[in-house]
Amino acid sequence: MKTRREKRGQFIIIAVMLTAVMIVSIGALMHNAITYYKHEPWEEYSTLIGDIEINSRRLVELSLASYTNSSEPITSNLAKWENDLIDAYPSSGITLTSSGAQMLSSSRIDYRTTKSSAQASFTLDIQSIGLEGYAFNVLTSVTLKIGTPTAINSTTNEIIAVVKSETGMPVTDLSAANFKIENATKISVGSIYDKTNILEYKIVYDGPTNALVEVWDQRGIHVVASQT
Amino acid sequence: MRIKDLRNKRGQMRIIETILASFIIVAALSFVGIFAVSPTSPAYEMTDLEKMGYSALHDLDQQGLLAPIVYNQQWSDLRNILRITLPNDVYFNLTICNINGLPINSNPILYGDLNTFSEAKNVASITYCLVGIPKLNANTGTYEANYSPLILVLEVTRG
Repeated sequence: MKTRREKRGQFIIIAVMLTAVMIVSIGALMHNAITYYKHEPWEEYSTLIGDIEINSRRLVELSLASYTNSSEPITSNLAKWENDLIDAYPSSGITLTSSGAQMLSSSRIDYRTTKSSAQASFTLDIQSIGLEGYAFNVLTSVTLKIGTPTAINSTTNEIIAVVKSETGMPVTDLSAANFKIENATKISVGSIYDKTNILEYKIVYDGPTNALVEVWDQRGIHVVASQT
Repeated sequence: MRIKDLRNKRGQMRIIETILASFIIVAALSFVGIFAVSPTSPAYEMTDLEKMGYSALHDLDQQGLLAPIVYNQQWSDLRNILRITLPNDVYFNLTICNINGLPINSNPILYGDLNTFSEAKNVASITYCLVGIPKLNANTGTYEANYSPLILVLEVTRG
């Protein structure tokens, strides 16, 4: 009887010691988890990668805008950007490499549809965080499709234009300032809903029926389409 | 008489056991407490500030707001959007530099006092790059899209 009571007393001590061991183990695990997460600033890394990716994309757009307006090649900009990144983040060991860069200005896709496009592939290495071979592609384009001009009266014509971006979605924020028709005056532009193209621009102008239509999107990318 | 003595001793043993058990638990908790990283520690603070600064600039850039404001030199607008994006108790000092590291903003883009930064224990510094924006030339009616990189250096601290 006495022995059983003594054993019960020991059991409490053993149970409490086991609980203590559990507390210490869980505490150690939690500490490791918290400090590991905190000492690896993942969000900073992803933002740094995001910064480089967004601005590389923007540089391709900028280069396409420059090329379609003044025929300046893309490669010089990419080389400058790659070098400037090293200066901007001196302690990060950033190496950005671009390849396969090419641009097309108002290339005809089919009758009345033309496209200005640029593409480039990038590989990013960041030595300070052990990142190697992070690859991303940039493709940017503006497609312009024009319809057959319709005469409203002897001097005024109407033409339908569809402007689409690289996503295949229509470019929505264009006004008369973004369009130009060769040898035309009094250009007015309105947008209309269409079942197939979603959004179309109706351009009313005083000028020739055989129109050369030019458009610049908000990124400055220029596309020209003609009737012939 | 003997039975009563035994009962008394058993009661004392229970108290001693309970005290010992309490000591073990308290010792275990104190041991774990040594490793706890409090939210006010510098390790937390710097990481948090850097995260906040990076996120603010990255979000603004992703939404297409940052580059036009910077390239059109709308410094007060830039200060205001950063004030809205960052929490109220976070002070910042933003410097816009060209690629040679020379500041181009004539007015300081600052929230808080300059002394706040010199006296603060933890000041995080964030670097963010921009490549340029297309600009419409009013005279020619065409867009000019030149590569003109700028470096944004954002210092953030808590008040």
